[in-house]
Amino acid sequence: MINRRHFLTTVAVGTASAAALAACGTGSSTSAGETGTAEKPVTINYTWWGNDDRAERTRKAIALFESKNPDIKVNGNFTDFPSYWQKRATEAAGGGLPDVMQWDLSYLRDYGQRNQLLDLGTVKINTDAFEKSLLPSGQIKGKTYGIPTSTNAFAVYYDPAKLASLGVAEPTGNWTYKDFNAFLTEVGTKSGGALFGSTDYTGVWWMFNIWLRQNNIEAFTEDGKLGFSKDDLKKWWNTTAGLRGTPAIISEERVTQLKPKSPLGSNVTVSEVTWDNFMAGYLGDSGAKELKLVPVPSDDPDNLGLFLKPSMLMVASAKTKYKDAAARFIDFMVNDPEVGQIFKTSRGVPASKTQRDGTTFEGTDKLVVDYEKSIEKYLKDAPEPPIVGFGTLEASFNRIASELNYGKVDINGAADAWFKEAEDLIKQNA
Amino acid sequence: MTTMATPTQSAPDEQVSHYNPKSESAGAKRAKSTLFHIVALGLTAVVLYPGLWMIASSFKPNSEIGGSNTSLWSNNFSFDNFVTAMEGIGGVSTLQFFTNSLILAIGAVVGTILSASVSAYAFARIKFPGRSIFFGMMIATLLLPFHVVIIPQYIVFQQLGLVDTYVPLLIGKFLAADAFFVFLMVQFMRNLPAELDEAARIDGAGHVRIFTSIMLPLMKPALISTSIFSFIWSWNDFLGPLLYLNTPEKYPLPLALRLFVDQTQSSDYGAMIAMSVLALLPVLIFFLVFQRYIVEGVSTQGLKG
Repeated sequence: MINRRHFLTTVAVGTASAAALAACGTGSSTSAGETGTAEKPVTINYTWWGNDDRAERTRKAIALFESKNPDIKVNGNFTDFPSYWQKRATEAAGGGLPDVMQWDLSYLRDYGQRNQLLDLGTVKINTDAFEKSLLPSGQIKGKTYGIPTSTNAFAVYYDPAKLASLGVAEPTGNWTYKDFNAFLTEVGTKSGGALFGSTDYTGVWWMFNIWLRQNNIEAFTEDGKLGFSKDDLKKWWNTTAGLRGTPAIISEERVTQLKPKSPLGSNVTVSEVTWDNFMAGYLGDSGAKELKLVPVPSDDPDNLGLFLKPSMLMVASAKTKYKDAAARFIDFMVNDPEVGQIFKTSRGVPASKTQRDGTTFEGTDKLVVDYEKSIEKYLKDAPEPPIVGFGTLEASFNRIASELNYGKVDINGAADAWFKEAEDLIKQNA
Repeated sequence: MTTMATPTQSAPDEQVSHYNPKSESAGAKRAKSTLFHIVALGLTAVVLYPGLWMIASSFKPNSEIGGSNTSLWSNNFSFDNFVTAMEGIGGVSTLQFFTNSLILAIGAVVGTILSASVSAYAFARIKFPGRSIFFGMMIATLLLPFHVVIIPQYIVFQQLGLVDTYVPLLIGKFLAADAFFVFLMVQFMRNLPAELDEAARIDGAGHVRIFTSIMLPLMKPALISTSIFSFIWSWNDFLGPLLYLNTPEKYPLPLALRLFVDQTQSSDYGAMIAMSVLALLPVLIFFLVFQRYIVEGVSTQGLKG
């Protein structure tokens, strides 16, 4: 029989040596890392989130990369979005992040500040074909942690078939908030409450952000504080004060009942204010033949407050042993025209001009690309990576706005509640 | 109930002169029984509704699932979702996901049965120094939430180079790390008469012989309950495989299921639900086959006769 005391000692020694090994692994080097040859290729791990459709497209892209780069093998793996971050958090704590990863803007600062991501400025990735206004969204304090693969922009979706059946004219996209509210009210009235205009757009954080930009106010200052006042927020939530509880906008209660589908995807509303790359999802959920996109309303026709946001980025692990291989793979994924041809707009509109020009867009894809082209002259700089804890701020914005919609709080109470949460959070993360 | 109070026609030899709750007429009994069945069927329908919804939705097109569609019926029933589900994801066939789930589940059952029964025998029948302390420590691990040990465990397996293998998922089962099952078996063994062991020892049997020839056959109900639970738990486990497996070819079903729904892109609810129906079948079959032993396992906590 095994002596138990001896066994415990063994375990203790084993754990200690594992910790020591972990400590050894953190030494940093500035070299290009290990490189492979065609006979003895190096293997890098690449991970992404997405559904079976993206998995299929990525598999094709990887096969293409491997045929062009026989000295590198790419090991791909994927999960769904919520699990993706659970897994990354565990790996980051355990020191085992994959070499190359698909990334989301809201997690960039968090992982970048904790030195989990490689500074891509130190490796060779061609960014000549990128809009100069877009690159800062992947940079923190002068270091490039992420390269955008593709962009998305905010838009108003509408369902032309439903509008025609109600006898409501299609919007032109050249409109003020008053026009937009009148449009929503007309839909609600003419349908007799069977169809709603849209969700309460003042509950969408990014729409608020755009409204602030239209009024030349920054959402966050450079040192990570709030750039707007409580009065700005009250004014914003007042925009739809007259619509809440009418058929112009759908009630929060109904929105919750429809989950996990969106109201537009459930054929309950005729329009929605959100990112332009959700097109495929809305079409699939609703079964509608066609959805159209127009710019968001603005009271200043020359300043729509619109910007291109990276819909996703490519990053590398700070601890990767194959910096050179990782850089070549990222360069390929963001710049290669054939990769664009494989993904079309399923990642968003390709950010690199080389890739965008090398891709032929048809049908729905063309609609999204044309929309981004049509707003080109209104575009301003992309926002820099959101502050740490931004996800929580956005969630509390949504929650408090929906309480407002329920009528549980008034506008003053809602603004006070959100400001208190936001300030506490910013203080905590400072 | 009103039916009890009202006088009813009855056989002439039954003298119903005044209300007596203990002697109900046949009619009242039937009414009561009917009422009971209506209530029971109603409750069953409520409980079964999610299952019915799932089965009905697996035949519906994606646009008719969820959202504002609440009816079970659709005019567009088809097998398309099952076809999509069986096509696999990203070049990995659905059959592969099933095989992986089966390997993990069977591995978990075999490992748990082997290790938990041996450990339980030691705790229940062998007197060794510190037995009660070790037993207490084992029970204490039951109180430790899995999430507390995720990261330390991950670091250990990562440094050992065992990530992306089934070892981290199965090794615990083979080392009796599932305290619940050990505890279950210890309690079961404590109810078996010690005279049996003594008789065997007098006949010259050692621990190995006592364990294999006396304990194991008597423990059949406990072993079967353990198999059922460890099979189902492993089949449904999501977090473990998510953290430790990287290659899609090694994914079990719960990971694959999530891949049909992507809020950031487009979601195929139909295919996901169809695959859920398929994924349920093995568990359902396993349960149906062994179901009677669960009841037996509970009712024979101890020895008959």
